[in-house]
Amino acid sequence: MSEIDQDKAPMSPEEQKVYQARQKHRAVIMAGLLIFMVILFYLITIVKIGSGS
Amino acid sequence: MTTAAQTIQGLASARDLFALTKPRVMSLVIFTALCGLLAAPGTIHPVIGFTAILAISLGAGASAALNQWYESDIDAVMKRTSGRPLPAGRMDRETALHFGIGLSVFSVLLMGVAVNWFSAAFLAFAIFFYAVIYTIWLKRSTPQNIVIGGAAGAFPPAIGWAAVTGDVTLMPFLLFAIIFLWTPPHFWALALFVNSDYSKAGVPMMPVVAGRQSTRHQIFGYSLLLAAVTVAPFVLGLAGAVYGVAAIALSGIFCVLAWQVARSKTTEPKDMAAEKRLFKFSILYLFALFAALVADRMILS
Repeated sequence: MSEIDQDKAPMSPEEQKVYQARQKHRAVIMAGLLIFMVILFYLITIVKIGSGS
Repeated sequence: MTTAAQTIQGLASARDLFALTKPRVMSLVIFTALCGLLAAPGTIHPVIGFTAILAISLGAGASAALNQWYESDIDAVMKRTSGRPLPAGRMDRETALHFGIGLSVFSVLLMGVAVNWFSAAFLAFAIFFYAVIYTIWLKRSTPQNIVIGGAAGAFPPAIGWAAVTGDVTLMPFLLFAIIFLWTPPHFWALALFVNSDYSKAGVPMMPVVAGRQSTRHQIFGYSLLLAAVTVAPFVLGLAGAVYGVAAIALSGIFCVLAWQVARSKTTEPKDMAAEKRLFKFSILYLFALFAALVADRMILS
């Protein structure tokens, strides 16, 4: 176990469930935002190249 | 040792992070920024325009997060705000601070890279103004706090304009002045009939510090200044007749309603019909005025 983990009190199974569900929800939203940003930056690049040429 | 509850609190839910950006305030920011962008002379590619509005919205969200990070003590003692993520204990302050700073940096960089660096610098200043000058410095020290806070809310249309033109001329300055002068009558009208526990939280709000009558007179004074600034773009030839007619009519009604407030002597919130009327109309006023500005530009072009 790492030093940081030793500093944290162990969670009960219910708490662990809440924690993991929150982690999963955040990960899904972050993935969605990243895909949105990739598309947005792709479009910005196309517009910038188009206006530059 | 970090308890299990603190560990869970350290991982804020996505919903609470979203709530930290004050989404309802953001809708007005998006609307006024969009109007500033559409009313500006020149053209902007829809993708770049969308990115500019997105960056301004993220900047506003970042300011709101930093505001709540600093004000969690005030929010905790006021009924209206005690359910927010920080005072309700659903998030720790460090998370709010990191989220606010991260979002600030990202919004400014996005604006700079995709739109132009002038509007990015402008956005950075607006965030700094709201988070540091208003929230940290002046809100708790002067009853004119809402006037200063109004300046922070007045930046979006000017930034939207700067996204198209790359500079700030007289017209975006007037758009800034309109929202700046609109905020005190709008907010103080509400503060007169809603008891927001500001005195309990130690925030010097005008009706509490200067009294109801002084606040009512100041509402009327600001309304006259607002009317003068609102009509100015038409008088100076910066906007056309569509805007001119709308500005004169809307400002006329605003001043009449503010005059009724100034003459009111009511002390019971339930009897404050004039204040309630002015508050409701003030929201319609701003939306209609900016919509008229955009319509005017569309017709002219």
